[in-house]
Amino acid sequence: MDRKKLRDYTGLVLSWLASSLTIAACGGIVLYLFINGFKEISWSFLTSEPASSFTSPTAGGISTPIVGTLVLTFIGIVVAFPWALATSIYLAEYAGRKGFASVLRVGIDVLAGIPTIVIAIFGAAVFSNPKLGFLSSMVVNGDEASKAFGRSFLVSGLTMAVMVLPFIIKTCEEALKSVPDTYREASLAMGASKWRTTTKIVLPSAKNGIATSVILGMGRIIGDTAIVWLTLGGTLQMTGVQPWWKPENWLSTLRNTGSTLTSYIYYTSPAGEGNMAAKAFGASFVLIVIIILLNVITGLIAKGKRIKEEA
Amino acid sequence: MEENILVQHYIRDKKQKISYSKIKDSICESGVMLLTICSSLVVIFIFGFILIKAWQVISVNGIDFIITKGFDAQITKAYHADAAHPYWKFGVAGLIMGSIATTLGALIIALPLGLGTAIVITELAPNWMGKLLQSVVRLLASIPSIIYGLIGLLVIVPFITKHFITVDMQVKYIKYFQIDGKSMLAGILVLSIMIVPMIITLSVDAINAVPKRYKEASIALGISHWRTIVKVIIPAAKSGVLAGVILGVGRAIGEAVALSMVSGGIGNIPDPSNGLVFFLTPVLTLASAIVNKSEAMSVPSINSALFACGVALLITCVSLSLFTKLVEYLIARREGIG
Repeated sequence: MDRKKLRDYTGLVLSWLASSLTIAACGGIVLYLFINGFKEISWSFLTSEPASSFTSPTAGGISTPIVGTLVLTFIGIVVAFPWALATSIYLAEYAGRKGFASVLRVGIDVLAGIPTIVIAIFGAAVFSNPKLGFLSSMVVNGDEASKAFGRSFLVSGLTMAVMVLPFIIKTCEEALKSVPDTYREASLAMGASKWRTTTKIVLPSAKNGIATSVILGMGRIIGDTAIVWLTLGGTLQMTGVQPWWKPENWLSTLRNTGSTLTSYIYYTSPAGEGNMAAKAFGASFVLIVIIILLNVITGLIAKGKRIKEEA
Repeated sequence: MEENILVQHYIRDKKQKISYSKIKDSICESGVMLLTICSSLVVIFIFGFILIKAWQVISVNGIDFIITKGFDAQITKAYHADAAHPYWKFGVAGLIMGSIATTLGALIIALPLGLGTAIVITELAPNWMGKLLQSVVRLLASIPSIIYGLIGLLVIVPFITKHFITVDMQVKYIKYFQIDGKSMLAGILVLSIMIVPMIITLSVDAINAVPKRYKEASIALGISHWRTIVKVIIPAAKSGVLAGVILGVGRAIGEAVALSMVSGGIGNIPDPSNGLVFFLTPVLTLASAIVNKSEAMSVPSINSALFACGVALLITCVSLSLFTKLVEYLIARREGIG
C-alpha cells in the first residue's frame, strides 16, 4: 500500500517539476531579455539607423530593422491573406470532405510541414530568375551567369507569404467552421445565394477568428530568420536610393535589401559578424515586446468572443 | 395594358438581375476554387523546383550522397576548385547523423517535460493555474527561434564551456575537432525548449478530448488519480501525444538558424564511445548547413549541394506530414467502426 502511494507521489512530483521547468524556461528567457535588453533601449537606439561599425557605441540603432520588419510583415500579409481567405472559404464552405477536396487538403498540410529554411532557399532561387528581375535590383538582366541572388524586400515578402499561407488557411478554416450551421440555413431559407450567404453572413460572423489568424501569421513573419537571411541577406542598412524614407524612393527601397529585427539580431550576435551582444539584446527586447503584444491581442480577441457568446 | 407592360419590364429586370448575380456568384466561386488549387500546388512547385536545382549533385553522387561523410572538407574543396573543373562530390551522412542525433536528444528531454506539463495543466492544477500555464506555453511557442539561438549562444554555450569542458579534453580531441562549448548538447537543449510547447499543446487537446466517463469509471473502481492518469487517460490520448511528437520532430529537423548558432557548424559524426565528449561534439544538421554555407552559394556546385540538402529535408518532412495524415485516418476509421 505504501509503495503504491509512494509511486503516486513520485509521479505527481515529477509532473509538477516538469511544468515548473517549462515555466522557468519561459520566464527565464523573457526576464533575461528584459534585464539585458531594457538598459540598451533609448530613444536614439530606436530611431537611429544602424551604422557599419563593429563597436557598440558607434553602431547606431535599429530604426531601419524595425521598418524592415514592418515592411515584410505588410507585404507578406497583403499577399497571403486574400489568397488564404479564398482558399479557406472554398475548403470550409464548398469543398466537403471527400475525394478532390481531401487531396487539396493534403497538399496544404504538407506545405505547412515544410521547414522555413527550405522555403527560404526556394524563394532565393526562384526570384533570382531574370524573368522576375523586376522584383530585385540585384538580378542583372539577361546575364544568367551573374550569380547574384535576387534579394530584396519584395522577394522576401513574397517568400514570407508562401511560408504563412498554410497557417492562415488552417486558422481561417477553423474560424469559418465554428460559425453555426443555423446561420447559413437561415440565410439560405431567406433566398440568399450560397456565395451571398458566405460573404454576408459567414465571414462577418467569423471575423474574430479571421483576425486572430492574421495576427498569428504576422507573428510568424516577424519571428522568422531563415527566410530573411537567405532572401534579404546580411546587410544592415537600406541599400536603395537614399534617403530611403522619401516616397519617391520607396520603390527603390523595396527592390533593394535591408535588415529586419531578426537579421539584425543574428548579425550583431556572436554568430554573425558584429559581435555586439548588447545591441542584439536591445533588438531582442523590442522583438519580444512585439511578440508578447500580439499574444495579448489574440488573447483579448478570444476573450471578447467568449463574453459575447455567453451574453 | 400599360400596366401589364410595366409588370413585364419589372419581371424581366428582376430576372436579369438574378442572372447577373448568378454569374457573379459562379465567377467568385470558381475563382475561390482556382486559388485553392493554386495553394495546394505550391508544394509540388517547391518540390519540383528544388529537385531540379539539386539534380546535378544527386545524379553525380547517387546513393553516395547520403552515405559518405566529410561535407565540410568537400565544401572547402568545391569553393577553391577553379571554375573549369568544379568539384561535385558531396556526402551528407554527417549532416544526417547530426539531424537525427539532435532531434532524438531533444525529443528525449521534451517528451517527458511536455507530457508532465500537459498532465499538470489538464488534471492537477486548479483552473486558473491551468489557464495561466497555457498562456505561458502559447508565449513559449511564439518566441522566435532567433531568440532561442541568442540565449543558447550567450547563456547555454558559456555554461557548458565553464562546467563541462576541461583543457585536457580540448587537447585530447584537438586533432578531430575543437571543443568550445558550441556543441550537440547546446543544440539539444535549445531544440528541446523549442519543441516542448508543441508537445504540450497537442497533448492538452488530446487529454481534454478523452471522455470524462473513462476517468469517472476508473476513479469509481477505487483507482488513485495518478494511476488513472497513467493507465487510463494517457493511453486514451496517445494519438494526440504522437501528433505532438511528430510536429515537434518536424520543427526540430527543420530548425536552421538557432541550431547553426549553437551547435558548432562542423559536420562531425558524434561517436558514443567518446563518453561525455559525445555530447560536446560540434555537429551540423541538414537545415543548419544551408544557413551556415549559404555564403558560398555563388559556386554552382555548392549551390546544388545545398539544394540537395533541401531535398533531403523536404522528403523527411513530407513523409512526416503524410505519416500524421495516415495516423489520423487510421484513428478515424477505428473510431468509425468501434
